[in-house]
Amino acid sequence: MILPYFESLASGIESKLAALAPDEPVARKRFALEIARLGVRLFSGRERLAWCGVLAPFDLLHGLGVTSCFTEFVGAMLASTGGVEPMLEAAEGRGYSTDCCGYHRAVTGAMLQELMPRPDFLIATTAPCSGGLALNESLARHFARDLFVIDVPNRGPDESSVAYLADQLRAMTRFVEEHTGEPADPGRIGAAIERSNQARELLLEVYGLARARPSPARRRDLFNFGLVVSLLLGSQSAVEVARTYRDEFRRRVEAGVGGAPGERVRLMWLQNRIQFRSPLEEALEGLGAAVVVDELNAVTWDAVDPADPYPGLARRILTVPLVGAVDRRIALLRRLARDYQVDGAINPCHWGCRQGSGARGLIEAGLRQAGVPVLNLEVDCIDPRNFAPGQLATRLEAFLELIRARAGG
Amino acid sequence: MSERQALAYTCAYTPLPLIHAAGLVPHRLLPTEAQEAPDQAGAHLHDNLCPHVKRVLDRALAGALPDNLAGVVLMGSCDAMRRLADAWRAWRPDDRVFLADLPATTGPEAVSFFADELGRLARVLEEWSGQAPTEDRLAASVELYRSLGAAVERRRRRAARGELHGGWAELQRLLNGAVTGPPEPLLDELQGRGEGAPAARARGTPVYLFGNVMSDPGAFAMLEECGVRVVGDDLCTGSRQLTTLDAGPDPDGGGGLSWLARTTLARPPCARTMIDEAEGLAGRLLARARAAGARGVITHVLKFCDPYLARLPALRDALREAGVPLLVLEGDCTLRSMGQHRTRIEAFVEMLG
Amino acid sequence: MVYLGIDIGSLSCDAVLVDEGERVVAWRVVPTGARNLEAIAAARRGVLEQAGVDEVSVAATVATGYGRNRVDGRLAAVTEITCHARGVRALLPGTRLLVDIGGQDSKAILLDGEGRVAEFAMNDKCAAGTGRFLEAMARGLQVELADLAELDRQATERTLTLSSMCTVFAESEVVSLIAEGAAVAEIVNGLHRAIAARTQALVRRIAPAVDGLQVAMSGGVARNAGVVSAVSAALGREVSVPAEPDTVGALGAALIARERHG
Repeated sequence: MILPYFESLASGIESKLAALAPDEPVARKRFALEIARLGVRLFSGRERLAWCGVLAPFDLLHGLGVTSCFTEFVGAMLASTGGVEPMLEAAEGRGYSTDCCGYHRAVTGAMLQELMPRPDFLIATTAPCSGGLALNESLARHFARDLFVIDVPNRGPDESSVAYLADQLRAMTRFVEEHTGEPADPGRIGAAIERSNQARELLLEVYGLARARPSPARRRDLFNFGLVVSLLLGSQSAVEVARTYRDEFRRRVEAGVGGAPGERVRLMWLQNRIQFRSPLEEALEGLGAAVVVDELNAVTWDAVDPADPYPGLARRILTVPLVGAVDRRIALLRRLARDYQVDGAINPCHWGCRQGSGARGLIEAGLRQAGVPVLNLEVDCIDPRNFAPGQLATRLEAFLELIRARAGG
Repeated sequence: MSERQALAYTCAYTPLPLIHAAGLVPHRLLPTEAQEAPDQAGAHLHDNLCPHVKRVLDRALAGALPDNLAGVVLMGSCDAMRRLADAWRAWRPDDRVFLADLPATTGPEAVSFFADELGRLARVLEEWSGQAPTEDRLAASVELYRSLGAAVERRRRRAARGELHGGWAELQRLLNGAVTGPPEPLLDELQGRGEGAPAARARGTPVYLFGNVMSDPGAFAMLEECGVRVVGDDLCTGSRQLTTLDAGPDPDGGGGLSWLARTTLARPPCARTMIDEAEGLAGRLLARARAAGARGVITHVLKFCDPYLARLPALRDALREAGVPLLVLEGDCTLRSMGQHRTRIEAFVEMLG
Repeated sequence: MVYLGIDIGSLSCDAVLVDEGERVVAWRVVPTGARNLEAIAAARRGVLEQAGVDEVSVAATVATGYGRNRVDGRLAAVTEITCHARGVRALLPGTRLLVDIGGQDSKAILLDGEGRVAEFAMNDKCAAGTGRFLEAMARGLQVELADLAELDRQATERTLTLSSMCTVFAESEVVSLIAEGAAVAEIVNGLHRAIAARTQALVRRIAPAVDGLQVAMSGGVARNAGVVSAVSAALGREVSVPAEPDTVGALGAALIARERHG
């Protein structure tokens, strides 16, 4: 069911790309194509597959010859195609609480419906959240496959934490070697890390260009971008996608052309977008607003040493804003708000997200102190069943009125 | 003994002997004493967050904290606890708060990392109290808590046999007292008291309790009213506190902190800890419930507790397969929420026959 | 000698008398109202009058329902779970799954081969899937509860689905549907299917599969043939409903009184 979806998605995008005129926007389609191709690889049953937690080092795994992905990707994909409800019902029918994160419930449901491809092994991460860890444990049991757990410390990138995490990543490499029967090839790993660093440089340019006023990003150009691009790191396709975005944004900025129509109010979006089809972006545009930056579209790590990637990869994980004290997250959000000159921020407060939404009050207070008003939405980013578009529209309108009043008065 | 300062904590994984060795009195912030504190935590964090964490935060915000408080040690056990640390630091910036990194894995690297973390904690405790938790002091404190754990365990066994006057409610009161005051007088009392007054023959259907936070003695009294006789528990405010740490030197030859790290991570686990055993949480539970002679299991977990909620379906399946009846209750650290379960509990007892 | 079972529910107080041979001698239903002590007394008086016996002939009384601990002179207070199981065992022997939908709560009870409770699940927090849900919807539709089954029969499309899981939101959704011109019969059918979906979710908690299980329904809502047929469709099983489905609990209590008295 899912493999044909990705296959036809990929071929559909390929056709569209082939038919494009030279000056038509192409970056998002290229990105979508790479996601579709990733989907094909994940569900083809032909690749060496690892289901992972969000913070697994995908570029390193690429260099070890493993096709890997964080499980929540499947939840997002199911929601975007309108196929998530039966999965949620399947999980809930088996006793998985509706109080818990929909991404995890959706993947659990897919597992119960035998729609998740069997992995060769799993690599869980204890951050960003407990729910993700439990999901990988459950998948490992269901598929009778070995689980490697990366225990992510919370203090931040101090020496001891970096060393601990780097050692675990080395142990992870040994684990992969044992399970693939192939010794790790330092040259191959180094090449993957180099490509990852190249992509990083390009991403920095992309995000830098995205600060322009008006924003060169069209409505969905950067939707789910940073989070999903991390899956492609290590491959040449990540470099090419990032380069295409850089070139396209550069052209638009040089021409002074805005991506989204009628951008007057500039907004920042926290954590994850609403994955199922919703009138949100349209509603914002109709109200003269646009999301010009997503929290997860930021490069928060330094280049990694291809000759000895482990400490650098450890530091990368430890500096993800969703890891550790919320102060670091608030600091990043303030910086983004300043750099992108936002007028306000939207926090979807994804239902069941203890790690993220658990800090709702602190984040709102922290941003308010920096002069950035926050709209808390309380939506489930995956489950459309309780979504009330009317209520959403009312809240957005009220928020924008508030912003305009502040600007005017 | 000169007046020692208190050190507040919230998690059963907290290394109490280390705190004690630094000359401080560990004081667990129990959610049950928070009835008077107004509900503010939801606004500062989020409403849909662990009720235990919210009630502890409410206590802190209302200043309902032990007198003479040196500081607070929080364990990074789960997302909610980490948010508690964030909120505490933001809203009570003058308090001294240490958030300890607690590995979710228990292998040698995790132990070594945790030993370093305990070292960091030891230095901070010394700053707060002015007393260094030296190896000798730590050894003495470990011994003290081992004796206390053993004494409480003896009481627990009597309660399980139905021989403790006041039943499991009394045991919980005892346990709550043990973690909210100096351990020495309580140990003397427990050891001096001998067997204590025998209880009337206990009635009720033998049931094993599993879950996390359930610290209100009233909850156990209610269970007894419903016809339950508790014969064992795996709760973090119950038997997972004050466990008797295993004796003997560290096989790796490390000092006290290395040993403390290893034994702490090896304690009976909370669901947030990744267990290596093949059968996992369910297997452990089945074995313990059977050994205790329970006819059924009541699981009491807090709402919004992801580590436990995520494991419930597998637990249910395993117990169903083993023919052990299971009742799952969700609570919010109030007696009211327990009271709403009365019919379920009575029906469960009737079902067990 | 007669044996009395009293079920004190939030909406009604039911009393059933059985004789030594476990046959039903009389039954009586009175509204609970605000004062349940009075309702209990009225139900008791009423059922004795009906049977033509006096208080001294009552050998034992068992009380059930949320007010079970308020019945004086009872032999025992037994939960509705156990009483419903006992009651349905007498009325429909061989029942393995009982779904009880009352005014304020709903229950699913799995019975073993001997008719004893093997597992149960209760929904007593949320009005969705209970009689209260139907009351609220009937109000929104401006129809009588008693007319719902007939309206359901009139529905031809039988595909309208409500998107709201919550009773409060569903009420406004129903009002909007009427305004948009949806047929009342189709809405009613949709509501019945919504209850059936909630029921199915409740059943799944105790019985992942229901193949081969003999299924029955009890409780006031079981008088609504539309709900019964929707539940039957959702579970894929035939569903039997005893006559007087709202007295199953009281009957069970009376039978337990008979058993325990010896």
